[in-house]
Amino acid sequence: MPPKNRSKARDYVTITEPKLTLSDQFYLPQVFAGLGTTMRHMFNVLVKDEHRVIQYPEERREDLDVEKGGMKLDIYRGVHRLNKDEEGRVKCVACFMCSTACPANCIHIEAGESPWPDREKYPIKFDIDELRCIYCGMCEEACPVDAIELTSIYDIVGLTRQEMIFDKAKLLEIYDRTVDQEPM
Amino acid sequence: MLESIFNLVAAYHWIILAFVFHLVVLGTCAYLILLERKTASWVQDRLGPNRVGLDFGLPFLPKFHFWGLGQPLADGIKFLVKEDYGRKGVDKLLFSLAPAAMIIVVIISIAVIPWGGVRQVTKTIEVSGSQLTGPVFVQTDEGPRLGTSAGEALRRYLPYDAAFVKPVTPEDVNLAQAISPATGQLTGPVQFTVTYRYHFQIAHLNIGVLFVLAALSLAVYGVVIGGWASNNKYSFLGGLRATANMISYEIPLGMSVLVMIIMFSSLDLAVIVDRQATYWGPTIGGTHLALIPAWNMFAQPLPFLLFLICIHAEANRAPFDMAEAEQELVGGYHTEYSSMRFALFFLAEYAGMITTSCVLVALFWGGWHMPWIEWLFSAWTVPASEAGSNSVTTSLLVCIVRSAALFGKAIIVLFIFMWVRWSLPRFRFDQLMQIAWKGLIPIMLLLIVTTTLLVYWFDGATYDGLSGWQALGFLVMNLAALAMIVAGSYVVPAGQNQNLRVAVHDSRYRATALPAGVRSSFMASEQVVAVRGPAH
Repeated sequence: MPPKNRSKARDYVTITEPKLTLSDQFYLPQVFAGLGTTMRHMFNVLVKDEHRVIQYPEERREDLDVEKGGMKLDIYRGVHRLNKDEEGRVKCVACFMCSTACPANCIHIEAGESPWPDREKYPIKFDIDELRCIYCGMCEEACPVDAIELTSIYDIVGLTRQEMIFDKAKLLEIYDRTVDQEPM
Repeated sequence: MLESIFNLVAAYHWIILAFVFHLVVLGTCAYLILLERKTASWVQDRLGPNRVGLDFGLPFLPKFHFWGLGQPLADGIKFLVKEDYGRKGVDKLLFSLAPAAMIIVVIISIAVIPWGGVRQVTKTIEVSGSQLTGPVFVQTDEGPRLGTSAGEALRRYLPYDAAFVKPVTPEDVNLAQAISPATGQLTGPVQFTVTYRYHFQIAHLNIGVLFVLAALSLAVYGVVIGGWASNNKYSFLGGLRATANMISYEIPLGMSVLVMIIMFSSLDLAVIVDRQATYWGPTIGGTHLALIPAWNMFAQPLPFLLFLICIHAEANRAPFDMAEAEQELVGGYHTEYSSMRFALFFLAEYAGMITTSCVLVALFWGGWHMPWIEWLFSAWTVPASEAGSNSVTTSLLVCIVRSAALFGKAIIVLFIFMWVRWSLPRFRFDQLMQIAWKGLIPIMLLLIVTTTLLVYWFDGATYDGLSGWQALGFLVMNLAALAMIVAGSYVVPAGQNQNLRVAVHDSRYRATALPAGVRSSFMASEQVVAVRGPAH
């Protein structure tokens, strides 16, 4: 019997406890029903092979369909990259929008005067602390020139904390590595 | 020389059995933990631990995971090398004693499980002349009987519970090389050809059932002492809960065993198994049809069910695992334990499960009885008409196969333990007590009375095993008892509703500031009032 939920205007609701049937009172029929449910799940896993496990190193989420628990590469928020323009220069104009937007304060930019005529500034240094980063994607949203983007790489490792602070060269290298799979 | 060593080995076979069965049980414990995790995974649509194989990471072995069979080994190594952390303020002696106490009582209770029935051996035993101080035979009214010193000397080469199938007579003795022809004195070795039977179990006690109950009820001391010595209120609460749990569920457990004792008039597990190792069925044209194995489960389903419930409580397993409720008590009595001491608690829990499962199999599932495939072993089985019991075999191999059969049935019970654990939520403490005292104990009392009346009506004919009609009688009695219980649930007043909502600070269920005419949740009414509004 579903609990009655009468008036929403009043500040209290009256819940009537469902009356127990005979099988509820003796509990064991309910126990057997529960055991049947769990046995059905065991049967599905063992006989029909219907489990919900991705065997990680052998199976990876990027190789699966989105419907089967795979990930959508174009919107996944993984490691950052710094995009390049057609001439191979870094797109970033060192406007500090991303480091301002960053809630984890993990982006550190050092701006310098641009050697190119089409912009005023460019980043001399661009460091992202991947251990501090919470992968929220705010930097990507804030960037006015689409220079910083989050890729679908998620399995980064390092032996030291220093190693996990990615500098400009590394971030540009990630662009080169991922641009074919995930174009800008 | 070699033969006398073999004879001595036969005499002390219980040491070998103890060694082998304890290794088997403890090894099974490790793999039960894997089975537990696997069962949990299957129930939750997962696969479970399947990474640690038996390749031990060696490069020349193929990367094959062996379904995670290496996991228990890895767990064992982990337990051994972890820091044995003792918190400040623990009672050091009791803290170490608790896991030891628990595993000791659990391990000794395995001793009386009737693994392989009775073995009958005929062999020639050589007794040296120096051991025979008196005459080999003494003359009695009923004929020659074995002398005291000869009997004692012979006993030294026989298992401790060996029983001669027939008395040793002068025909069984080869004195040819024993008496020197010159003097007529007894000098050389005497060869006795004897036929004896012994039980294939570690200790054949005629009070085996009582021994198991007594030993396993001591296991709660480990829990209580561990909880007390930890100097931790959660552990202490776990210990207290375990005590109350144990006291309540020992009673229906003992009672359902009592039903079996009344039926067979024996406390010996081997006898109870022996009575079940046959079949019920109609006799058509002089042939007895083996329709149903004569297991007590089919004659007495209600005691079987209640025994199964009670051993869950006895083993402190879900849904009766109040003592180690992770969610409330942070692990209960073993919160403060780490490393091998914790592992001992763990092993004791699983070894206790194995013991109680074996007892259940012996009491209700016919022990080592392998229905419908027994003809495979008929060449090595002494027929019941000749032996006077169903369990006599001449082959050691049959004993081992029977042990495997008993253990296989026990594994099924152990799987039920795990299946139940991952299906049912934990009982609240008052529900736990209610089930035992208001449910199981009255039902068992009813069953004891009805079983006693029925055994009295059969005039004790059940003592040597149930016939098919008697089994049917017990089954009808069980069904009648079930009908009485159901009828009783309408007659007996329901009592107060136990599901009280107690208003605590910040609770949605509040007793204060209720509108007039609305009954408070403190009252055991059918209506419970939940107050909407801000949560403070």
